[in-house]
Amino acid sequence: MVNKIFFILMVCCVCSFHSMAQTYPGYKVVGDLPAFKKTFAKASGEINSIAADFVQEKTLVALTETITSKGKLWFKRDNKVRMDYVSPFVYKMIMNGDKMFILDDQKETQVNVRSNKLFQQVNRIMIDCMQGTILESNDFTTQVFENESTYLLVLTPASKNLKQFFQAILLTVEKKDNSPRSIELKEPGGDMTIITLSNKTLNGPLKDEVFSF
Amino acid sequence: MAHLRMRYFLFSVLAVMMASCSSYYKNLQTVKVDDACAEKIKPKGIATSWFDASVDVMGKHISGLLLIKKMPDTSNRIVFMNEAGVTFFDFAFANDGTFTVKQIISQLNKKAVIETFRKDFSLLLGIPFQKPLLAWHMGNEYYYGVTNGEERIYFTTKSGCDSLGRLEIGSKRKRMVSIASEGQDAEHPQKIVIKHFTFSMTIELKKIEKNAD
Repeated sequence: MVNKIFFILMVCCVCSFHSMAQTYPGYKVVGDLPAFKKTFAKASGEINSIAADFVQEKTLVALTETITSKGKLWFKRDNKVRMDYVSPFVYKMIMNGDKMFILDDQKETQVNVRSNKLFQQVNRIMIDCMQGTILESNDFTTQVFENESTYLLVLTPASKNLKQFFQAILLTVEKKDNSPRSIELKEPGGDMTIITLSNKTLNGPLKDEVFSF
Repeated sequence: MAHLRMRYFLFSVLAVMMASCSSYYKNLQTVKVDDACAEKIKPKGIATSWFDASVDVMGKHISGLLLIKKMPDTSNRIVFMNEAGVTFFDFAFANDGTFTVKQIISQLNKKAVIETFRKDFSLLLGIPFQKPLLAWHMGNEYYYGVTNGEERIYFTTKSGCDSLGRLEIGSKRKRMVSIASEGQDAEHPQKIVIKHFTFSMTIELKKIEKNAD
């Protein structure tokens, strides 16, 4: 009996050690997390707008299927994000504070995200990733890694509700200007979505009308 | 005059009531199965494809991407996700009709919802038609199908047996579900419309050329 308990404890220890020691090739851990959070909040706070192209790759691992979509993304502080998918389907999503507007092939839908927990959380994640406030979120536990040119923020959902959608969210941030380079959404089943930004214009003029609906 | 108007009104109401009570399948005549025709046009499922999907149910609208994937073991997987990549459900249909929910979000994890999708997609994949077929004739159409409890599950063709018409589920009197496809051939549809007649629900699928730029 004692042997059995000892074995179970050993397995638990090995498993927890393995999950804590998860590494990302080419990256090393940023040791002083509180100091990083402070510096990152200040630096990313200097980005007031982003206009960029994006490529989104959704991979279904077990089905060996990937679909790549492309479009344009705009962010404006505070709390405004717009994504226009242009290929291979047309879809527009505008997040403006508590309101979300969706235009698909068939219909326009306006959502008050306060009345829909799922939309509220997804809305918050996108906005927080863009404006650099994701480290302040209570919805995740965070690990930060770095290499020569980027920081890697590994966000693990804390709530049961978010855990059903995401195993982890990986946000890659450019060191040179603290702007987001990519967002990787890892699902519990192993599938993943990576949104990569390119042709970024930071702090260019961006009218509020871009986010109106 | 008022008396005549009232009689006309009552007659109209009666006519509408009688029309709604009349059986959709009342003129269906049993005929001998034309084996060659049945074999030629029997639904053989859908080749692996991505679709831009739109679901309208009881006044609610949701859009996303739907993948129909023929697996190497000839089973089928149907995965529905939103445009941003979050998976809503992943269903597996084995060739013998065995149905497995691989993944579903809690908001959709309701018995009635799953059963509705199971029947719709099972019909789309032609799974019910592996049993010996019966045949009927109505108007200018031939109906081939099977009986499943109180329901009949059909596929239709015109008298020349040139191509597959609709797929249908009906009770003795009522048409319950109808699937219409557009495209060069039944296995590679460009557009699919799944319409329910006993409650308000329509699924519209438009094929995505996933490598299109």
